[in-house]
Amino acid sequence: MKRVSIFALITSLLVSTFAIANEVNVFNARHYKADAELYSKFTNKTGIKVNLINGKSGALEKRMIEEGADSSADLYITADAGRCGAFKAKGMTQGGLTSAAIKAAVPSNFRTSHWTGIAKRARIVYYSPERVSGADLSGLTYESLADSKWKGRLVIRKSSNIYNKSLVASLIANNGKKATAEWAKGVVANMARDSKGNDRAQIMAVAAGEADIAVANTYYLALMLSGKKGAEQQEAAKKVKAFFPNQNDRGTHMNISCAALVKGAPNKANAIKLVEFLLTPESQEHFTNNTFEFPMIDGVSPNPLVVNNLGLDFKQDLKTKVSTYGKHQAAALEVMTAAGWK
Amino acid sequence: MKFNSWYLSSFLISFFVLIPIITVFTSFFESTSNYYEILKNTFLIEYIFNSVALLISVLILTFILGTGTAYLVSFYKFPGSNFFKWALILSFAVPPYIYAYSLTAFFENYGTAFTILKSLFGDANYNKSIPKFDGMFGAIISISFSLFAYVYILARASFLYQSQNLIDLGKNLGFSKFKSFYKIILPAARPAIVAGLSLVAMETLAEFGAVDFFSINTLTTGIYNSWITFDDLAFANRISFFLLLFIFSLFVLENLSRRKAKYHFNARGGFKQKEKFKLTGNKSFLAFIFCFFVFFVSFLFPLSQMLYWTLKFPENLFDLQIIDLLLNTLYLVFLSSLVLILFSLISNYGNRVSNNKTLNILSTLSISGYAIPGVILAIAFITFIAWFDENIIKSLGFLSIKKLFIGSILGLVLVYFVRFYSLAFNGIKSGYEKINISVDESAYLLGFSKRKTFINIHIPFLRNSLLFIIILISLEIVRELPITLILRPFNFETFATTAYISASEDLLEAAAVPSLFLILIASFFIIITSKYILRESND
Repeated sequence: MKRVSIFALITSLLVSTFAIANEVNVFNARHYKADAELYSKFTNKTGIKVNLINGKSGALEKRMIEEGADSSADLYITADAGRCGAFKAKGMTQGGLTSAAIKAAVPSNFRTSHWTGIAKRARIVYYSPERVSGADLSGLTYESLADSKWKGRLVIRKSSNIYNKSLVASLIANNGKKATAEWAKGVVANMARDSKGNDRAQIMAVAAGEADIAVANTYYLALMLSGKKGAEQQEAAKKVKAFFPNQNDRGTHMNISCAALVKGAPNKANAIKLVEFLLTPESQEHFTNNTFEFPMIDGVSPNPLVVNNLGLDFKQDLKTKVSTYGKHQAAALEVMTAAGWK
Repeated sequence: MKFNSWYLSSFLISFFVLIPIITVFTSFFESTSNYYEILKNTFLIEYIFNSVALLISVLILTFILGTGTAYLVSFYKFPGSNFFKWALILSFAVPPYIYAYSLTAFFENYGTAFTILKSLFGDANYNKSIPKFDGMFGAIISISFSLFAYVYILARASFLYQSQNLIDLGKNLGFSKFKSFYKIILPAARPAIVAGLSLVAMETLAEFGAVDFFSINTLTTGIYNSWITFDDLAFANRISFFLLLFIFSLFVLENLSRRKAKYHFNARGGFKQKEKFKLTGNKSFLAFIFCFFVFFVSFLFPLSQMLYWTLKFPENLFDLQIIDLLLNTLYLVFLSSLVLILFSLISNYGNRVSNNKTLNILSTLSISGYAIPGVILAIAFITFIAWFDENIIKSLGFLSIKKLFIGSILGLVLVYFVRFYSLAFNGIKSGYEKINISVDESAYLLGFSKRKTFINIHIPFLRNSLLFIIILISLEIVRELPITLILRPFNFETFATTAYISASEDLLEAAAVPSLFLILIASFFIIITSKYILRESND
């Protein structure tokens, strides 16, 4: 019968197969081409297939939460420690990233047993050397971005952005919520325009003369300088210089891309193997040369574009544990919103 | 004959589609967490304000673009008027989020506009003199140029069927062209224009990709963010409730305006083909410029920007598994069309043969799924499945069904079904209305069973409507973003998701290739059926 055959056709097309295989399921919020290349290297080496679901971190987290114990997720890979920390706080991760290889590779302030950093970045200040003098910059801290001398000269992206939430969370961890609330008001008063655009747009605003200083992550400038964004942006990037804040006290705000072991992971052992693989010098070199992040492990040098244009010789904030970013995230958003930070 | 199998299946289909709507409404009365109460209230005001501002601006702009172009191509002959007649529909192929990528790519600091100026006039800092289309303004432009065709198609159809007498009337009264347009033509086409605008309104309120890209907090992105940032489904649902309220009042407004204006729509009997007025000189040039401007800005501009990037960064072309993406996209299109058409046929037929009031109301309600943004539907679906699984399936001792529905093609197609059911249902309904009930009665007299009447008589009659609906569904699914993004299985990407994901990682150049293919596929669908779209919408 015609109708029966149509129903049969639909059913057969709809039902997906659930084969049990040697695999690892990654919920992936980092979408660099380079990452995908690394995963296929891993498969070639170990025979473990990497299944990917790409998406924005928020939606991926929600899906894992709603799927609960039935989730097939093994590993959650995302940018920003704040996200991994918050995900752990929701009870969605499990311990197990404690192998000797991981412990040896990653400094302890960049990992917990539930999640670990796989690459580093710093959130720094970019400035126009034409309009900002060395004296202006001397001793610059994140805290001093609220100084009135920067009035109308600063650009930074929106408060809903996770990098900003983590930066402000680290300020709350160091200076307390009240002081940070005041600071946020000062920063908003200094803005050259309402917050808009991504990190790269902030750097370009300085290059284009819309602002004198910008706050953005380290890898963006290198990306622009690499020419991967076209000749114009390469030129634009040369008009901007990098400055690492808080060199005289705790050091520059560091953040990580992180991998978290999901609770109830059906392929836990494979997930740990993948994390270990991502921390090998080979993978780390791949990260540094493609995404222009800082390596997580010692013995691998950042990309020459990063070394030459940003410098390596800076003091990192190793005092503030990155796990606090998740803890203060909500408070960070609250103080920024209260200050009128768009 | 009240409770036959047709009635039952029709009832079940409508009920299934209603589940997410009911979920949203019931959760309005759940208490939300207190923690952020104040913060959330300030957000709510911002969401509502932004949504209203966006909505009003988009409505004004789409009205001007849609009726303006429709008026010109319906009443006048000028260079290219026959080309623009169908070419203006091509803007449907560019979803608002891809439009937003193009706008940013072109106008940002050191963007394509900068490159052009530099190559024309040499080195200088042009950034300050290049206007910036971002934020709210960018969102308004992106949505308007991508959606004005709704107004265009419906307005044009209505203009075409305006009787010549009406236009002669204007002439006899000594009205100028503008006065005729304003006093006679426009009021007569009002129901069609309002219908087009209400489609634009629903799409605007439900829009996710472009407003998310420009980080505008509207009710729709607000729902998504509160679900994610505040972890507060009840609050998300509460915002959804406001949004639905909004949409339903639009519905009501539209219905009221239609009812009042009913007498404007005459039966086709008195229709007399109008002579198109031939424009000359300046006027002809201006008409051409206006249509060309709209066609260029809405279609050629995003197409060329994406093409330019694809050529400038060709490595992205080779990195992409184009065949896979194409197959995945077509697979979804095929499955969803099949399911939608099949079930809409059944429920329409069930409605027809049982002619039952409850069923009628239920099916009218169920088509409101189209008004609910995809993000909300996807969330409501996951919530419902998780709840159903925990409370019913597991307590009965069965294995979890979550994997069957969340992150599976089945789940994806089900939610598409809810979202696009009204397209299919209404399309078939309007086809059905043209088949007189006496046809059915004659068939029964001839000894045809209900099923045989359905298969041998109705389906052939409906074939053309079905084709049209399939194309509409295909276009929607090729462009669909939030549902696919949230519910798709492992290792499964479409052109839309690939474009979105690259863009969200600040890799707009990489988003260009999938965007380009998306535009091309959608254009292909439009071109092969353009005659049909223009004709069908006349009914």
